[in-house]
Amino acid sequence: MKKAIKVALMAAVSLGLPGAAVARDLTIVGFGGGYQDSARETLFKGFAEATGIAVLDDVYNGEMAKIYGMVETGNVSWDVIMVEAPELVRGCEDGVFARIDYDVIDKSKFIAGSATDCGVGGTGWGAAMFYDQARHPVGPATFAQFWDLEGFPGMRAMRQGPKMTLEAALMADGVSMDQVYDVLSTDAGVDRAFAKLDEIKDHVIWWKSGAQPLQLVGSGEADYAFGYTGRIIRAQGEGRAYALNWNTLLYSIDSWAVVAGSPKRAEAMSMIDYITDAGPLRAQAALWPISPANKEVNADPALQEANPGMVLNHAEEGLFINTEFWIEHGDALEARFTAWAAQ
Amino acid sequence: MPCAATLFRKPAVGAPSRRTRLSWLLVAPLLLLVVAGFLVPIGYTMTRAVDNAEVTGALPRTVAMLERWDGNGLPSEQAFAALVEDLRGADDAQAFGAMTRRLNFELSGARSVMRATRRQLDSLTPPYAESLPTAVPDWDTPQLWLLIKTNSNPFTASFLLRALDLQVTPEGQIEPVPHDRAIFVDLFQRTFWISLWVTVFCVLLAYPAAYYISTLSDRGARYVMLLVLVPFWTSILVRTTAWFILLQREGPMNAALEGLHITDAPLQLIFTRFAVYVAMVHVLLPFQILPLYSVMKRLGPQYLQAAASLGASPWRQFRSVYLPLTMPGVAAGAVMVFMLSVGFYVTPALVGGLQDQMISYYIAFYTNQSINFGMAAALSLLLLVFTGALVAAARRLTPHIGPGPRE
Repeated sequence: MKKAIKVALMAAVSLGLPGAAVARDLTIVGFGGGYQDSARETLFKGFAEATGIAVLDDVYNGEMAKIYGMVETGNVSWDVIMVEAPELVRGCEDGVFARIDYDVIDKSKFIAGSATDCGVGGTGWGAAMFYDQARHPVGPATFAQFWDLEGFPGMRAMRQGPKMTLEAALMADGVSMDQVYDVLSTDAGVDRAFAKLDEIKDHVIWWKSGAQPLQLVGSGEADYAFGYTGRIIRAQGEGRAYALNWNTLLYSIDSWAVVAGSPKRAEAMSMIDYITDAGPLRAQAALWPISPANKEVNADPALQEANPGMVLNHAEEGLFINTEFWIEHGDALEARFTAWAAQ
Repeated sequence: MPCAATLFRKPAVGAPSRRTRLSWLLVAPLLLLVVAGFLVPIGYTMTRAVDNAEVTGALPRTVAMLERWDGNGLPSEQAFAALVEDLRGADDAQAFGAMTRRLNFELSGARSVMRATRRQLDSLTPPYAESLPTAVPDWDTPQLWLLIKTNSNPFTASFLLRALDLQVTPEGQIEPVPHDRAIFVDLFQRTFWISLWVTVFCVLLAYPAAYYISTLSDRGARYVMLLVLVPFWTSILVRTTAWFILLQREGPMNAALEGLHITDAPLQLIFTRFAVYVAMVHVLLPFQILPLYSVMKRLGPQYLQAAASLGASPWRQFRSVYLPLTMPGVAAGAVMVFMLSVGFYVTPALVGGLQDQMISYYIAFYTNQSINFGMAAALSLLLLVFTGALVAAARRLTPHIGPGPRE
C-alpha cells in the first residue's frame, strides 16, 4: 500500500517535471560561481568537443537531500556532482554515490589521498576572512580581531552552519591551529566555541551560497566577512580593494562523484577522467585561480607563480578542515548550531 | 436551476437516481483533485511523522532476537550473532545509511559506532558476545542495544516529541531535551506571534484603505484597485526582493532617512524582525483589502444615513453600525492573512536574520539539509494541528469569522 502511494506520488511529481525521465544530456553539478564558469568554458566544453557528448551543467548549494531523494526514488537527473569531503564519505557509505571506475579514470594522477572509493579530487578550496579596504583601510587581520567588536565595530558575515564557524571561534579564543580539532572533540571545547560565538552573535549575517559574502561586503551590508578565496581573488582582479588574510584560511578538497543509479554512468566516468587531466586543467587555470588535485598541475611552478591564490600553496598558513571529525560530529553539531542560531 | 441542496438531497431508497449519479459525476473532477492533490500527499507526509521502518528494515534478525531480551544487562550471544549477520548481509547501502541516520538522531555518535562496527566485521569471530565488544567497546553497554530495541517498533512518537522539545530516554522516560537543543516550542510561539502581529497590522492598514476605495466612484475605484491588484499579481519573491533592496544599509530607505536628517548613521534594517514585518504585511495586505472592500462596497451609505437620522454621532455610527456590519470582511481577511503568515518561508528567509525565521524554515531545513523527513513531517503535522486549533478557537470566540453557518 505504502509502495503504491509512493509510486503514485512519484508519478504525480514527475508530471510536474516534464522530461525528467526522457532522454537528457549528461548533467554535471557544482557550486556555481566563477569556478564553474571557468570549468564550463574549458573542462565541460572541452569534454563535449572531444567526445561529442552533450553536457549540461547545473548549480546546487551542497544540500544532499536532493541527491538522496533522487537515488531513493530511482529518478536520477544529475550524473556528475561536486561534493565536499565529509559528504563524499558519508554518501559513499549510504550508497548514493557510485564506485569510481579506476579502469577508466587514471588513479595515479591525483595527489595523495584524493582518489577514494566514490570520488576523485576536483579542486582545493579555501575560505578566509576579507574586507573592503575602500571602506575600512584597516581591518581585522586575525580571528581574534574578527571577534573584536570594539576595535572593529560593524557587521560580520559568516557561513551558516557549524563547519568552519566553530573552528574559527576556537582560534579566536586563543586555541592554536594544530589543537583546534582536539579541543573541538570534547564537550567542553564545543561549549567554549559556542560561548565565543555568543559574543558576536548579534553582529553576524549568515550566508549560505558562496556569492553572498561578496555581495554583502560589496554593498556595505557586512564590514568583515568569511568568503571563498577563489571568489575574493577574482573580485580583486576586477578592481576591488579586498584585503584577504591568508592566516585565517580554512581549506579542503572538493571531489567529483557520480550519483548512484545514474543512467549515464559510463559517460560520467569518462567525463571525470577528462576534467581531471592536466591539459584541460591548465586551460582552466588561465581563467580562474584553481588549485586542482591533479599532482602534475598542482606542483607546476609556472602555474603557482601565475596563481598566487592557489589554496594548496597556502597550506602552511591555513587549517585543513578535518573530514573525519565532521563525519563523526557533523550531525550533532549541525543540530546544536541550528538550535543556537534560532535562540 | 436546482440549488446545491436539491442536487445532493438524499436519494430514494433503492437504485441511486440518475440525478444523484449526475451530481457525483459533476463533482468528480473536484473530488479527484482534492484527493490526489491534497489528501493523499498530506496524508502520506503525516505518516512520515510517526514512521519508523529504518531499524527493522536494516537489522531484521537483530530486532527479532532482541524481542526476547528483557532489557537488563547485555543481550544474548544470539543477538550479537544476529547483529553481525545483519551487518555482513547489508548489501543495501541506502538501508544501512537510513538506519544509522535514524539511530544517530536518537543518540549522537551511534552512527560512528555502526560505521566502526562495519569496518571491523571481517576480523570478528564467534562468540560475538566477546569479540564484538572487544573490537567496538560501545557494544559492551546496554545503551545501543536498548536503542535498537526501542526502535524496532514500526511507529515512533520520537519525532513528534522532539518537535515539542521532548525526548525519550533509552529507558523509555519522556524528558525535555537539554536547553542548548530546545528550539521548537520557541519557534512555534514565534511563528504564531509574528503571524498575529502581521494580521493586526494588515487589518489596521487595510480597513481605512478599503473604506476609501469603497467611497470612490466605480471608475475611481477601478484605478485605485489596480494599485492593490498589481502587487497582488506580482510574485512574492519579487516583492520580497524589492524590500531586500530598499532596506539595505546603503539602500534607498537609509539614504532617505539620512537625507532628511532623521538619522545620521545607517540603521540596520535588513535581516531584522522589523524587515520581516514590513515585507510580510506588504505581501499579505491585498488578502485583507479585497474581502473588506467587497463587504464595504455592498453595504451602501443608507445604513449610516439611517443611524445619523436617529441622532448617532459619527463615532457611534461607526462603532454600532459600520464596524459590526463590516466585521465579516475583517474576519474573512484576517483568517486568510493569519493562515498564510503561519506558513511563510521565502520572505523571512530573505529579509530576516536567523533569529527571525519561522517554522517553515526549519521544515525546509530538515527536508533539504539534514534529510530527516520524519522531523519535517512532525513539524508540519504540529503546525497544521496548532493552526487548525487556533482558527477553530477564533471562530468560537468571534462568531463572524470565516464562512460559518450564518444567515
